[in-house]
Amino acid sequence: MKTIRQLAGQFGLSRTTLLYYDRRGLLRPDYRTSAGHRLYSPADETRLGRICQLRGAGLPLREIDAVLEPSRKLRAPLGAALNRRLTELNGEIAALRRQQQVVVSLLKQPSAARRTRIMTKERWVSLLNAIGLTEADRRLWHREFERLSPEAHQDFLESLGLPAGEIRTIRHLSAAPAAGAPHEGPSSPRRKRTARSR
Amino acid sequence: MSPITKDQFVSLLNAAGITDDQKHRLHAAFEKQHPQGHQVFLEWLGLPAETVRQIREQSRS
Repeated sequence: MKTIRQLAGQFGLSRTTLLYYDRRGLLRPDYRTSAGHRLYSPADETRLGRICQLRGAGLPLREIDAVLEPSRKLRAPLGAALNRRLTELNGEIAALRRQQQVVVSLLKQPSAARRTRIMTKERWVSLLNAIGLTEADRRLWHREFERLSPEAHQDFLESLGLPAGEIRTIRHLSAAPAAGAPHEGPSSPRRKRTARSR
Repeated sequence: MSPITKDQFVSLLNAAGITDDQKHRLHAAFEKQHPQGHQVFLEWLGLPAETVRQIREQSRS
């Protein structure tokens, strides 16, 4: 038999915690001293060991109570409770991973994140239209961009907040050889294209 | 910061057949319609703060 102080010390819990477990019926010692102090039996000790283990798995006290119910008929299945907890944990981990990805992407491109909110594709197109650039001119510009620096081209397109698929398409079209390209405007001074692999 | 320099970007504009006059108009339209976007874009090209300030001022005149 152990006193509440001894048992609490053994499991690294506070006396208050054991009193609370007693109050909610989770761990109720059968014996008392003549002075009315609680006395915990070896069976109580075993039960507390199980309680601590399940607390360590993150099960709420309500569930622990149900799965440790002495009556077989009333006892809740432990496997089901653990599976529920596992699903819950997986959900929390997935949410944390998503947050982690957002943090990493923000750290990687702080300026791109800012630019995205300001200059959209539509705004650029309207600016370029305003100075008389045709669609063919813009296509040529993308091709030169891709040729000069694929990384910068990618960075620029990302800054417009375009979806990855659209960026891929634009870069793919920009990498096409000039020979098959449509009319590009009559007087554009342009350099000879050189084949270049990425 | 962009992976390319301002000079490289200008060479891109040249390659696409954009004239000096069009470049001036581009700055002016940029400054007028999206002043903040203009600032951030010039910073992206890696220009020093003073140069950015001068370009934006000229774009307004």
